[in-house]
Amino acid sequence: MRRFLLLLSLACAASQWLAGASLRVPDRVQAGQELSIPTSGSGEATLYLFGPSYAAKRTVKLGGPVTLAGDELLSAGRYVVVLNGESSTFFVTAGPVSTVAFIARPSRVPASTKDGVSGTVFLFDRNQNLVLSPQPVSFSIAVPGAPDVQRQETSKDGVAWARLDSSRRAGAAQFVASVGAASVRRVVQEVAGEPCNIRMHAERAKDGAIALQTDPIRDCAGNPVPDGTIVTFTSVDASGRSTVDARIKRGIAQAELPASRQASVSVAAGVVIGNEIRWGGGQ
Amino acid sequence: MRARIQVRHLLFGMLTALLAAAAPLLLSAAETGFAVILDTSQSQPRHVEETTMASVERDYGHAWHAMAAALEENKIGLLGSDFVGLAKEQLSQAIAEQSKSGLKRRYIDHGHQVRVVFYSSDGSAMELHDTVRLEIQLLDGDKVVQHEQGTFHFLALMTPAENSWKVRLLESVSGF
Repeated sequence: MRRFLLLLSLACAASQWLAGASLRVPDRVQAGQELSIPTSGSGEATLYLFGPSYAAKRTVKLGGPVTLAGDELLSAGRYVVVLNGESSTFFVTAGPVSTVAFIARPSRVPASTKDGVSGTVFLFDRNQNLVLSPQPVSFSIAVPGAPDVQRQETSKDGVAWARLDSSRRAGAAQFVASVGAASVRRVVQEVAGEPCNIRMHAERAKDGAIALQTDPIRDCAGNPVPDGTIVTFTSVDASGRSTVDARIKRGIAQAELPASRQASVSVAAGVVIGNEIRWGGGQ
Repeated sequence: MRARIQVRHLLFGMLTALLAAAAPLLLSAAETGFAVILDTSQSQPRHVEETTMASVERDYGHAWHAMAAALEENKIGLLGSDFVGLAKEQLSQAIAEQSKSGLKRRYIDHGHQVRVVFYSSDGSAMELHDTVRLEIQLLDGDKVVQHEQGTFHFLALMTPAENSWKVRLLESVSGF
């Protein structure tokens, strides 16, 4: 019985050796790099290779190394190689970062807004594989004449993101994400925030109406509020309330309210209220 | 005797009603694709809304269903619109190569446990970690040249379109 078992195991070993035996492949290979698989035995055998974007079947000679070309291993992911009934798996991993896909939001943001700008990057190698190993990513946002806002992050599973404060100064901000030598720029338009301290003055127009004009309207960081922003002038007198909406033009807003002997006139833009004038009451 | 017949009729009626009620459910399971359980508790920087969660579960499962069919039948058309960009390019290329060599891949799907690890602030991209139980058969014609069964890990990037989420990248990884 023992002799029979010994003969059986020897026969199994011999048949495996004749068949070409097991495959030795590394666990990981970088995308685009050639892979050489040593084989044993002799004669010819069919090799199968299945990958994320590839599949091939070919006849190879046993006894020497079988080469998988770099072109066959371009996509990151799991590969299965089958030779003479033996199979092995390995993973192709991404190479160094070559391309940065950068999503910057929003495209327009008020100045001096905390966490007002967000940036997300996806990191790819030159074969468009997501680079999953952690990479240092630098985000910066800069407006001419204002200090840069910077943030360093480390990517995780190919993604990194950051939220940054917008600059104090309005203007076209350069929002840059960089990883090593690869960098991408987006432009975020930083506009003035809500008006701050609206001041108006009044005078009598030729027809007796109340002519109102504001001082240049700025946000709290000193940025001129964009033209087109609505400013509301209101007068309340014995006959009731009159309201005029005017747009800021060249930094100021102007309007005429109906003539009145005595009125209380106020100005507002959005939620910000400016000064109040008592018309005909001594001011 | 008559009472027994009436009971039989009643049971038959109940069974028919039950089947009729269950039919839409069975049909919808087949239409939506493979079973996906989505965990959004670790989503960053944005929380995943319930409606989005339901859409992603449905569309990711559907995408796997489409991919399995396309790789088994070597028909790029079966990928449909579930895949876009790089994912679609890679799968289309794999199918073309398989077709050229007379090879096929068969995925027998036993369900996905999916974790949302990233959901962008503006809602334009989502990264998933998928742990899936699969049987994979690699075929030369109709002959299985390799068969394996186990737990596999996939990383997916999805982006929203008009009314559904699309798989933009799908990569098999060694683990998370």
